[in-house]
Amino acid sequence: MPLLARLASLRRSLFARRSAERDLDDEISGYVAMLADENVRAGMSPAEARRQALLSAGGVEQLKENTRDTRAGIFWETLGKDVRQGVRSLARSPAFAAAAVVTMALGIGASTTVFSVVEGVLLSPLPYRDPGRLVMVMHHGDQPVAPANFLDWRRQSASFERMGAADFWVPNLTDGEVPESVQAVHLTSDVLEQLGVAPRLGRLIRPDEETPGRDHTVVLADSFWHRRFAADPTVLGRVIHLNGEPYTVIGVMPPGFEFPPFWATGTELWAPLALKERAGSRDAQSLRLFARLKPGVTLAGARAEMAAIAARLERQYPGSNRDVTVTPLSELVVGNVRPALLVLMAAVAFVLLIACANVAHMQLARAATRQKEIAVRGALGASRSRIVAQILTESLVLGIAGGAAGLLLAAGGIRAVRAWGPAHLPRLEAIGLDPAVVAFALVLSLLTGIAFGLAPAILTSRRDPARALTVAERGSTEGARKNRLRNVLIGSEFALALILLVGAGLMIRSFLALGRIDPGFDARGILTMTVSVAGSQESGPSRRAAFYQAMVSSVERLPGVVSASAINHLPLAGDLWGWSFTIAGRPKPPPGENPTAAYRVVLPGYFRTMGIPLLRGRDLAADDRRDGPGVVVINQWMAERDWPGQNPLGQRITFDNGQLHPYWLTVVGVAKNTVRDEWVARPWAEIYLPLLQTPGYLERTSTAYSYLTLVVRGRGDPSSLAASVRKAIHSLDRTVTISAVQTMDDVVAQATARPRFYLWLLATFAGIALTLAAVGIFGVMSYAVSRRTHEIGIRIALGARRSDVQKLVIGQGMAAALLGAGAGLAAAIFLTRLMRNLLYGVGPNDPATFAEVPLLLTAVALVSCWIPARRAMRIDPLEAIRHD
Amino acid sequence: MGETSTPEQTNLLQGTLDLLILKTLSLEPMHGLGISRRILQITGGTFDVKPGSLFPALHRMEQAGWLAPSWGESEHGRRARYYALTRAGRRQFHTETSQWGRIAHAMDAALKAT
Repeated sequence: MPLLARLASLRRSLFARRSAERDLDDEISGYVAMLADENVRAGMSPAEARRQALLSAGGVEQLKENTRDTRAGIFWETLGKDVRQGVRSLARSPAFAAAAVVTMALGIGASTTVFSVVEGVLLSPLPYRDPGRLVMVMHHGDQPVAPANFLDWRRQSASFERMGAADFWVPNLTDGEVPESVQAVHLTSDVLEQLGVAPRLGRLIRPDEETPGRDHTVVLADSFWHRRFAADPTVLGRVIHLNGEPYTVIGVMPPGFEFPPFWATGTELWAPLALKERAGSRDAQSLRLFARLKPGVTLAGARAEMAAIAARLERQYPGSNRDVTVTPLSELVVGNVRPALLVLMAAVAFVLLIACANVAHMQLARAATRQKEIAVRGALGASRSRIVAQILTESLVLGIAGGAAGLLLAAGGIRAVRAWGPAHLPRLEAIGLDPAVVAFALVLSLLTGIAFGLAPAILTSRRDPARALTVAERGSTEGARKNRLRNVLIGSEFALALILLVGAGLMIRSFLALGRIDPGFDARGILTMTVSVAGSQESGPSRRAAFYQAMVSSVERLPGVVSASAINHLPLAGDLWGWSFTIAGRPKPPPGENPTAAYRVVLPGYFRTMGIPLLRGRDLAADDRRDGPGVVVINQWMAERDWPGQNPLGQRITFDNGQLHPYWLTVVGVAKNTVRDEWVARPWAEIYLPLLQTPGYLERTSTAYSYLTLVVRGRGDPSSLAASVRKAIHSLDRTVTISAVQTMDDVVAQATARPRFYLWLLATFAGIALTLAAVGIFGVMSYAVSRRTHEIGIRIALGARRSDVQKLVIGQGMAAALLGAGAGLAAAIFLTRLMRNLLYGVGPNDPATFAEVPLLLTAVALVSCWIPARRAMRIDPLEAIRHD
Repeated sequence: MGETSTPEQTNLLQGTLDLLILKTLSLEPMHGLGISRRILQITGGTFDVKPGSLFPALHRMEQAGWLAPSWGESEHGRRARYYALTRAGRRQFHTETSQWGRIAHAMDAALKAT
């Protein structure tokens, strides 16, 4: 059946079934009526005439049924015939079919995998009511806010329906045998209310619970409810103990509910935030503000209002209201991965295009070798549309097979991304082979099938069968148009491959640069774990110092342990607190301009255990106690910033927050710079204080001051020490909690996981692209040589040297490849700028990468052309001329 | 009226019906009843095509792209579905005609051989 007629009948039988049915009704009843008319004219009574007419029609319903069957049967039969023929003809050339399916599968598999990630992370909206209107009000985009500012902003702004504050909290759940540390958040009632998600049981937090004394209520996550209460529906009103204090369960959230969607991920408990004595503070910046824009208020409007409020407050309280930002929540959740995912999408589109180009010229070459067959069919009366329909069907069969294989690959790929993807990729759990992704793959494979089937189909059928027959018969030179198309395909493949390789090259370079960063410590052989005394017997002020010291010395006695120590916030894995301080003997700087430094509290032996070299002075010692003079070690960066060209040893500082250290501290040592909370963050000033002189860590009962990270240097594999260290600590006290047990190497690996993940993906795509481009040019050149055997034979017979023949073939292939590579180079100069945010220590137009990649590509193209060129060189002129 | 049915009438050769329909429509577009009446007439009453074979054949040929249907009014004012030959249908008619000629000639020769 011709293509158009088939499409028309497909439309009729599938989409306009009702109208086709009505047509059939009308046609048959018209027939019966006309028959009856004849009978009447022959003299019958109208009733008899109708009866006779119905009789001779042989049962109207059965007639309709037969006709319907015929219609449906033919459609499926022709389609089936074409599909069978497509499969048969593909089976006759299994190498072609396999190559095409594998090529398609790689393209579709890669693009479906990345599309799944993009779909899960970027495209699917946050699971809250009208999430587009949720914003965060912060400093500098993502820096926390002080309580007094929060209260002022909420009171003075009119842009927000609600504004609420959330505070990080990791309490110890002290019910049961072994305490467990739980991720939780303290928040004001506005935060949960504005999300528009109803609890599955009970209620959300009420405003009156934000006052001390009434704040001991808690809302549970579905997972916590299942884990601790076996989903008991009578849980409301029950009491759980957090850090030893009773909290009443008031609600349970529905399954799948997650908040916050970034920062403090995996939160299972929500409790009221009572600001208490902190309410007036403009220094303690720890709150994250979540707000919902009022209907009709734009982001720009809210920003303008907040800027005005902040300017007013800044005049009143200098240094307290700098750079107040209003950012959409979704932007904060996915903002920093968006550029990477978009680059990956582009990379994957390139791979898919290369795959399509490859299959297209495979099809083209195949169509050329089948020209005779097609010409014969044309001569036998097959219409052009019939031939096009058949080639298209064959392409679709390939496309669907490729799509199915690609879907399998994608299922594996998605599993790999979930298993090996960076743990901090937001909303990783939302990634899956969902219907949207499957639909994407199906559409992709069908479109690809049509796209790469169409060009050869049109080219082939455009030929006049008589000419095609004679040309095919002679098998000599080919039409110029087809050559041009093939050169364009080769050229575009190399252009795309070049862009991908440049991208991958830049990622490799920036990854190497990341690897060259000196962390300042020696990560090998170190085991770390977080030990919390919150809610245990050891949290009392009189016992804490003794417990920590006993813990370190009992761990140091373990076999295989070289040394041990502890720090409040481990570099890369821990928190980062910055405090401002004043230097003795210097005029007081204007408010808000005091120098600041990271606040590190350590036990003796920290530098030795971590392998951080002391550059000047001495280490903090066991006898630096509260009764002795206050001492600190600073890092090199701080020494150079605050005492350039001077000796920092013996200088004195004091923290501006008098509650922390109400006395002067003398600098006794300078340590090497270490990496901070992020691997690539620039170094910053750090102050190390002895734990035994730090009242906050010895007395404060809040969770933030109740834990330390133990660092243990061992001989050999540090992870093998985990069990014995854990046992040693629990033998001192079973009620302290141990969490986040990991080697320092793991900590470093996690800190660089994201760039490594992007590198891995981009390098995979670039590898696929390079392979496909090489296979493509090899296939085309081999094909060209086999088609030109006759011509080359004549050339050799007429005296062409064999090296000339080789040059001819290589030259032709290389011209197309190099032209494409040149175009790709020009495009890459612009496109790699999109990667700027992903790169470290290398510019987007890094000259070395831009020089090496074209060389690599040229070498690959040369090798790919060389093999067919050798075959051309060895052509025996006599054989060739006699041949066909 | 063709009420009687003889063996000759039911044992239409495979493909003969198509050719007869093509032949009928090569003169002018026609509706179902008209086609069967015309076939009865031009075959001298030998072939009386029953609706049970006529309509499936018409729909099959329409799907093959040989016939194009359209709604019109019959000579006695009834709404009827008219079929016209398409270009492919005309080509098919010529192909089948020459094929039939060859077959008929060959059969004739074969049966006369002694």
